[in-house]
Amino acid sequence: MTETPKQKVWGRWVVLAAFVLGLFLFTGFFGIGLAIPVVMPAVVLPTEPLTAPISTPFGEFFLSGTLVALLFADLVIIAIAIGISSAVKKGKLILTGIIGGVEALLEMLHGMTEGTAGKWTKQIFPWFATITLIVMIANWTEMLPGVETIGKLVKEEGGHYAVQAVGPFLNVVEPAEGEHGGYHLFPYVRVVSTDLNFTVALALVAVVMIQYFGVKSQGANYFSKFWATGTLFSKPIFGVIDFGVGLLEIVSEFSKVLSFAFRLFGNIFAGSVLLFVIGSLVPVFAQSIFYLLEFFVGAIQAFVFGLLAMTFMAQATQGHGGEHHEEAHA
Amino acid sequence: MDANAAKLIGAGLAMIGAIGAGAGIGIVASGAVQAMGRNPDATGTIQTNMILGIAFAEAVAIYCLVVALLILFVF
Repeated sequence: MTETPKQKVWGRWVVLAAFVLGLFLFTGFFGIGLAIPVVMPAVVLPTEPLTAPISTPFGEFFLSGTLVALLFADLVIIAIAIGISSAVKKGKLILTGIIGGVEALLEMLHGMTEGTAGKWTKQIFPWFATITLIVMIANWTEMLPGVETIGKLVKEEGGHYAVQAVGPFLNVVEPAEGEHGGYHLFPYVRVVSTDLNFTVALALVAVVMIQYFGVKSQGANYFSKFWATGTLFSKPIFGVIDFGVGLLEIVSEFSKVLSFAFRLFGNIFAGSVLLFVIGSLVPVFAQSIFYLLEFFVGAIQAFVFGLLAMTFMAQATQGHGGEHHEEAHA
Repeated sequence: MDANAAKLIGAGLAMIGAIGAGAGIGIVASGAVQAMGRNPDATGTIQTNMILGIAFAEAVAIYCLVVALLILFVF
C-alpha cells in the first residue's frame, strides 16, 4: 500500500537472486550447480525435548520446540498490542499497515459475535478474539524459514539421519539406512499447533468456558440440558427420549474437546508434512505455492476454532429452547 | 506381508473416509453459493454458517487423517 515503486523493484531482484541461488544449490544448473541432495525430513509426531527434563511433583517438564514457537507467537501478539495502544494514544483516527489489518479483523469478529451472541457479546468476544489471534499467529510461524528444519542433532539409537561432519558448523545429512546408529534432529522451533498438548489445552479451555457461560446465564437450570428429568413422568414416551437426548448431550460435550483439538492439530500437522514432502520433491519454487495454501489454511483453522467456541458459548447462554443440532457433528 | 507394508496399506485405507467429507464440503459450498446468488445482501451470515458447516464436515476427514497419522508414526 505505502510501498514506493523503488522498493518494489528492489524486492523483485531479491526474489530473482534467491531463485537463482536455489537453482544453483539444489540442481545441476548448466553444469556449475552443486546439486545438493534434499533430504525428506523424518516426520515425528510427539514433540522433541530440547533440554533435560526437570522432575516436579506434577510430572516431568522440558522445553520443547513447540513451546519456543508459542512464546514467539506471544511476543508477536504483545508487540501488536503495544503498537495498537500507542497508535490509539497518539490519536490516529485511521490505523494503517499491520495494525490497521488487525483492527479490521477484530471489527469483523466483533460484528460476528454481536450477530450470534446478542447481549453476551461483551463477555464472549474476548475469548473469540484471543483464541483466533493466538492460533492464527501460531499457525503462521510455520512459514518462517528454519522452523522445523534447524535444530540440534542428537545421536541416538534408531535415529533417522546419517551425518558426516564436513566442518565445524556444516554437516551433510543423509537418510540413515539400517537399524544401527543415526541421529535425531530436534528442531529449535516447531509450530505449536503440531503439539497435541497445545490443542487439547486450548480445547479444554474453550469447552470449560462454554459450561461457565451456560451456568452464568441460566444458573442451575443449565444442567437440565444434560439431566432432562423435567418431562420424564409427565410425557411417558417422549420424556424418556428427552432423557436419552440429555445423556447424549454429555457425550457431545466431551466429543467437542476431541473435535476441537484434532481439527487444529490434524490440519496444521498435515500442512507441515505437505511442506516437507513438496520441498524434498521439488526443492526450488514449488513450495511457494503450498506456502500460500498453508497461509490460508492457518488463518481458516484459527478462525474456525474461535468461531465454533463463540457459537457454542452463545448457544449455551440461549437456554433450553434452542435446537439440538450440536450432536450432529459429534 | 511384513508389518510395515500392512501399516502403509492401513493408513491408505483410513483415508477413504475423506470421500464423505469432500462430498459434504462440496454440497455445503454449492448451497451457500446458490444462496448468495439469490440473496447477495445476506452474504455475511451465509458465509459464517457455510464456514461452520464446512468445519463440521471437515472434522470427519480430520479424524481419518489423525488415524492415518497415528498408524504411520505412532504404532
